[in-house]
Amino acid sequence: MCSNSLKINGKMSLEIKDVDAHYGSTKILDSINFSASHGELMGIIGPNGSGKTTLLRTISRILKPKVGTILLEGRDVQGMKDKEFSRNFAAVPQDTTINFDFSALDIVLIGRNPHLGRLELETEKDIEIARRSMELTNCWRLAERPITELSGGERQLVIIARALTQEPKVLLLDEPTSHLDIKYQIEIMKLLKRLTTEEKLIVIAVIHDLNLAARYCDRLVLLHEGKIITLGTQTQVLTAENIKNTFGASVIVKKHVLTNQCYVSPVPSPLKHENKNEAGRVTIHLICGGGEGASLMHVLAAKGYSVTAGVVNLLDTDYEVAKLLNIPVVAEAPFSPITQEAFQAHLTLADKANMVVLCNIPFGSGNLKNLEVAEAALKRKKALLVFDTTNIEKRDFTNGEAAKRFIALKTKGALTVKNEEEVLKAIK
Amino acid sequence: MVKPKTAYFNKFIHWKMMMIYLVAILCVSIVLTTAIGPVYVSPLDIIALLGSKLHLCETASIPHKYETIIFQIRLPRIFLGLLVGLALATAGTTLQGLFKNPMADPYIIGIASGAAVGAVMSISLLPHFFSIYTTPFMAFLGAVFATFLVYTIAQTGGRIAVDTLLLTGIAVSLFLSAVLSFMMYRVSHDLAGIFFWLMGGFWLASWAQVEIAILPIFVCFFLIYMFAKDLNAMLLGEESAQTLGINVEAAKKILLILSAFITAAAVSFVGTIGFVGLIIPHITRILVGPDHRILFPASALVGGIFLVWTDALARVLGEMPVGIITAFFGAPFFIYLLKKRKGSKYYV
Repeated sequence: MCSNSLKINGKMSLEIKDVDAHYGSTKILDSINFSASHGELMGIIGPNGSGKTTLLRTISRILKPKVGTILLEGRDVQGMKDKEFSRNFAAVPQDTTINFDFSALDIVLIGRNPHLGRLELETEKDIEIARRSMELTNCWRLAERPITELSGGERQLVIIARALTQEPKVLLLDEPTSHLDIKYQIEIMKLLKRLTTEEKLIVIAVIHDLNLAARYCDRLVLLHEGKIITLGTQTQVLTAENIKNTFGASVIVKKHVLTNQCYVSPVPSPLKHENKNEAGRVTIHLICGGGEGASLMHVLAAKGYSVTAGVVNLLDTDYEVAKLLNIPVVAEAPFSPITQEAFQAHLTLADKANMVVLCNIPFGSGNLKNLEVAEAALKRKKALLVFDTTNIEKRDFTNGEAAKRFIALKTKGALTVKNEEEVLKAIK
Repeated sequence: MVKPKTAYFNKFIHWKMMMIYLVAILCVSIVLTTAIGPVYVSPLDIIALLGSKLHLCETASIPHKYETIIFQIRLPRIFLGLLVGLALATAGTTLQGLFKNPMADPYIIGIASGAAVGAVMSISLLPHFFSIYTTPFMAFLGAVFATFLVYTIAQTGGRIAVDTLLLTGIAVSLFLSAVLSFMMYRVSHDLAGIFFWLMGGFWLASWAQVEIAILPIFVCFFLIYMFAKDLNAMLLGEESAQTLGINVEAAKKILLILSAFITAAAVSFVGTIGFVGLIIPHITRILVGPDHRILFPASALVGGIFLVWTDALARVLGEMPVGIITAFFGAPFFIYLLKKRKGSKYYV
């Protein structure tokens, strides 16, 4: 993404080089390599047990890597003294419960430990730094409250303020948003973002929620079984395929309507395949696009029918669902009119099907050729079902031509359906 | 919003005030408890006597026997009580912080049972064979040996898991208790002596004992105090402490050894007095808060004051073992605290 512009002196600031980590004799991390620059928010994602926390523990020197080095601005961190290390790295653990009645400010001031001698008391300066951290994390108002009485979200803010009071260059967080409500999830993520853009910190956070990770992180590291599967921007990392391969979960990745960030949502697992053999011989072709065919694809595939689809644009929901369900699909580049080549492919695909379904799609000059495929199906005496849930005039953007031809389809014997159930009935 | 900042510095003032109060209470306690005993000496006479010792005034009117009672019998007893109270409270505070467990006390890692086995061995097998210091010496050896055993068993790969340490401590203590019971059942002819030692008491206190105990106890106390900030950070969790620049494994080992040592030094002369190491840190935490920088000196003073008064009570009640009194008052008080603070997470 924009990581190039964030490099300082042309050199990455935190480099993790060929790191292997073990618990006893079990290898947890396997040659991990990545770097992060000042001002970058890195998200570490991956399924449970993939080594995310171990990676964070290794960077924060709690676990010593068996092989490999970690460099901060070119210096090996293993060579740093304990206090020196903690003036550069601060960590926020997963579990932040504290059972002793310290005030929030007391807790934050413990963050000055790396800067003070054993018997040294905090001075005005230390309290000023603590106050600044607490204002940055918006928890100065909680300064005098006992930590035991704060809510989970408030406590998380205080613990992050404590880490910032160390005045580190690198901030490591282990699932800072889990167990928090959506307000605090967003507040914490925004805070992390601000810390990178304004304070130029390197922030590395293990994040469970893929959408939060996509929304706020500059780059993502996808871990699986101790290895980095992909590393890069959200669009590179958060693909349905990557998520299927690592989490074993079927998802659709869309662009969020407002933010244009990747948005991951789960697909319901396929229903039980009923008399697959019999249904499998029936092929149904969907003329769809714009997400109008997605749910029907899922229902038909679940019932065991062979489904084909066309012509849809790449990155369209229908396209992604088709890929996910292994449905043969004719696709066209985004926002491009259907080419002759795609049209021919579509015609051939539809011709192989036993039945054609025209979904509730809008028509413009670009996809008018899809209507032609429906007409061709009727001509060849194929059963044609048409969805007519939205009035054709409202989804016609061709000055009446599409509407005219659509109505003609209906008069020539196309069967009108309203929902997936009627389609299933019609097939039988 | 300047308020929390000034409030923070008020905290340091509050700490100083607490220490001044506690030292004042301690001084008054010393004078008042010196008066208490089978022979009553008025506190004014005690002050006069103390003054004359320091060459501040004349004391012709006070009988000579009072001087002996006060300077040879009661004051060494009181000072030994102060030292033992300081030591047990300090070790208790350390271990509660280290284990992050409010139920921890100095005896939890096997010190008491180790010391008891050592002492009972000496009482049963070598009665006054060498000198009056045989029993304290054996008790000290037993305590150190038991701690060493627990420590060795509990550590794996150079690391100490506190849960394992606690459980090992309990297991070793149970085993040593069996050894103790066996010795009491089959070998010993002096059950009363053993029982007295187990409950603990100051009736044998002398200046010589104070002189022996004072150095190790104070040295350990100051060394432990050096780790006050480390313990504060460790309350946030060991890994958090590690990222705050603390060598947690080293700190744990040093603190364990120091608290074993300070406890062993305390119990070797006076027996295994119970409850002080458990409840004093709790009472002090309520008074001054959980910050170890104030908790250590304050609980040392509170521990000293507590033992001086319970020992005075023991004297009045005809030389009863002081452990009976600490438990008799300590246990109900502890239950009271438990009930009072039930809502707090700390005791869950």
